[in-house]
Amino acid sequence: MRFGIIGLFVATLSLAACGSGSSSGTGASEGDMLVVFSSRHYDSDYALYDAFEEATGVEVRTIEADGDLLVERLKADGARSPADVIVTVDAGRLWRAEQEELFAPLVTDELDAAVPAGMRHPDGLWYGLAKRARVLVYAPDRIDASKLTGYESLADPAFKGKVCVRSSGNIYNISLVAALIDRWGAEKAQKWATDVAGNFARDPLGGDTDQIKAVAAGECDVALVNHYYFARLMNDEKNKNLVADLEVFWPNADAGVHVNVSGAGVAKHAPNPELARQFIEFAMTEQPQRFFAELTNEYPVVESVAYKNAALETLGEFTEDPISLAKLGENQAEAQQLFDRAGWP
Amino acid sequence: MGQVIDRARRGISPTPFGVAAALICTLPVLALIPLGVSGGGAHMGHLWDTQLGTYVRNSAGLLIITTLGTLLLGVPTAWLTSRYAFPGRRLLVVALPLSLAMPSYVSGYAWMSMTAAGGPVYSLTAGYFPTTSGLFGAGFIFAISFYPYIYLLARQAFEYSGTNSFEAARTLGASPVTAFFTVSLPLARPAIMAGTALVAMETLADYGTVDFLGTPTFTVGILRSWISFGDPQAAARLALILLLVTLVIFGGERLARRGAQVAESGGRNKPQHRVPLSGRWAGITILICSIPVVFGLIVPGTHLLTLALETQPVRSPAAAFWGTMTVASLSALIAALLGLGAAYAARTGGWFANAAVRAAHTGYAVPGAVAALGVIALLAASQNFLDMLSGAAAPMVAGGGLVALLFAYQARFAAAAIGPCESALVRITPSMDQAARSLGASPWAVIGRIHFPLAFSGIATAALLVFVEVMKELPATMILRPLDFETLAVSAHHYASDERLAQAALPSLLLVVIGLPIMMLVSWLVSRRETENAAL
Repeated sequence: MRFGIIGLFVATLSLAACGSGSSSGTGASEGDMLVVFSSRHYDSDYALYDAFEEATGVEVRTIEADGDLLVERLKADGARSPADVIVTVDAGRLWRAEQEELFAPLVTDELDAAVPAGMRHPDGLWYGLAKRARVLVYAPDRIDASKLTGYESLADPAFKGKVCVRSSGNIYNISLVAALIDRWGAEKAQKWATDVAGNFARDPLGGDTDQIKAVAAGECDVALVNHYYFARLMNDEKNKNLVADLEVFWPNADAGVHVNVSGAGVAKHAPNPELARQFIEFAMTEQPQRFFAELTNEYPVVESVAYKNAALETLGEFTEDPISLAKLGENQAEAQQLFDRAGWP
Repeated sequence: MGQVIDRARRGISPTPFGVAAALICTLPVLALIPLGVSGGGAHMGHLWDTQLGTYVRNSAGLLIITTLGTLLLGVPTAWLTSRYAFPGRRLLVVALPLSLAMPSYVSGYAWMSMTAAGGPVYSLTAGYFPTTSGLFGAGFIFAISFYPYIYLLARQAFEYSGTNSFEAARTLGASPVTAFFTVSLPLARPAIMAGTALVAMETLADYGTVDFLGTPTFTVGILRSWISFGDPQAAARLALILLLVTLVIFGGERLARRGAQVAESGGRNKPQHRVPLSGRWAGITILICSIPVVFGLIVPGTHLLTLALETQPVRSPAAAFWGTMTVASLSALIAALLGLGAAYAARTGGWFANAAVRAAHTGYAVPGAVAALGVIALLAASQNFLDMLSGAAAPMVAGGGLVALLFAYQARFAAAAIGPCESALVRITPSMDQAARSLGASPWAVIGRIHFPLAFSGIATAALLVFVEVMKELPATMILRPLDFETLAVSAHHYASDERLAQAALPSLLLVVIGLPIMMLVSWLVSRRETENAAL
């Protein structure tokens, strides 16, 4: 018995030693290796890593996980974290990583010139990479487009039983309502959420693509989705018939279309801050910015970049909500509370 | 080594195994406690006022639907395949557990996209087949995904227990149905309960499927308090409450079972003599045993296969394939050893060992992401401890080695191994030990020549369950894996979470492809053991 427990203790220690042995190779980045902690997992990002490797000879190694787990891991690793660059898909996550003081400021004239002021942190803690817009998709044969103005249209009693949206726990919905709280005040945003929930054609189910399919199948007439899911279907040979009879409406009214951003920042304890800076600067150059548009159907943050994407061209121009992106993080909890009170599952 | 054998002569204490299993499984959960008690309670008040009722109702409803569904699919199939001989039996024996290799969220995505308006099943049935959504949709997905837990454990019990008592009951004039309900079923009850416990804990801890199918359960509430409210403390607290409820349910079951200790006594059990079926009865039996395979594997698998065939894979799945094989087989091995040791501890040890093993079960009922949070918190704490001891020279604990990941898997899944090992050992009566010992066999010989052969299928089942679980695991894998390390579940999740089911199809199918030979191997090993036992 005593032997057993001591043996166990020794075994645990040797396991821990093993752990250190196998991790020391990855824990301390060498001069030519860049470690990216990312919650994005898109083809455009893989293309970006490859292009960076090719351009600089630096090897890019990644950990991809959901943003909240990334934050917890970075917190736990502390000063020993191998991460050089942190990438997340949503302004709320960027805000949270900022609150946890996971970023080191990065100020370069080059980046400040390339990235519009609204798309980056004022102190250079993070820079936006690509944008996505939350739009309305509708069936023009069933919905009178003149009735559509902005997000408030979803609450219009005329659309009772015709609206499809995904569940409220989804970050896209939370960020939108966080923006609406800032735009309209909590009271009006609450009423909006309650009214939209009253207009549901069905209980929230599936992802954004499923909402688009539901409109196509006639289960509902208007849906709230991110633009790139629609663009992806438009650009896909197999699926383009599905969306051929549908239209995107840009909810430009009031302050404009809600836009969320994926962003990158230098990790506070980055073993290679210099490489991290190079990587973020590289991401703002023309080719990687085109990757975001051409491979993932997102809008590049660098506005001067020209890209080829038939679907994005068809969707056309829109007015962007100029809200400070930090608000999306600050209002996040209130947004979920508001959904819960509205009975939006 | 010499020391070990020396110890063996004096009698073996398996307690350290029980304690090890308990430590590995409970420490990450215990690490949640300081997290859970810190932080304010404002969020709890909000939850109480708004969605808590819905969450609890959905969890309870889902638990009932899933338990009934898995029992209905798992027990009859286990009984029929172990008791009767009919054409295609061998194939079905191997095919029935395979549904477990399909991650339930992939199954959920596939069924939902097939049955939603515009999907192939919807068009085929003119919309009469209901869309897989809501409480019943999620219950359906869980039933067709989780029934193998019950099937595997119940079958293992039926294979060994039934014959003597069942035949005695038949000789005494009981009909097959009466004999099944009064004799065979009670004998298999510990195994079936162990399976049901796994099903229940999986059901309660699932997030991906219920969120996608629009059934916000308590676990959705837990994850929302973390993701939306940015309050991991509240998430930890809610997860602990969920855990407590689960413990009460299963503690109650154990208490209720206490009085009814059953172990078949009297002589060696003959290996199963299967009653041949033919004609109509064979047809009905094949139909009953095929239904779970059709719904759980063939229909969603075919849908995925169609998608995979018409989609160009973006990245080669080879790396993910080997990553999955590595972690799953290592974990299965460790868990089998740990599970067996723990089961022994519970069997031979005193109250301490018993309590330790019970405690080891807990990790399973915690939602995966929160369990990962617990592992991270634990690793951080041990890092601080090491730093305190040796300053900056301390090795890095969490830093992306495989060890942290393997630890996380055991923390979560060792419970899946303990159950089957325990129910396998239940069959071995104390009188067998006494007889062997009185004939001069050493304790190791008792284990090697009596326990191991008899318990083999249980151990194999345990290893298999852990293999499949690890293969599908997501949150801990994502966050604790070494740099650039891929598994099939992670790449399937990446595509599925980006709503690209077509790209997710290939890695998901590969999970089933890996499961197939493993299942065949286990089934072959088990049947070989059966013949050996018969020749004994």
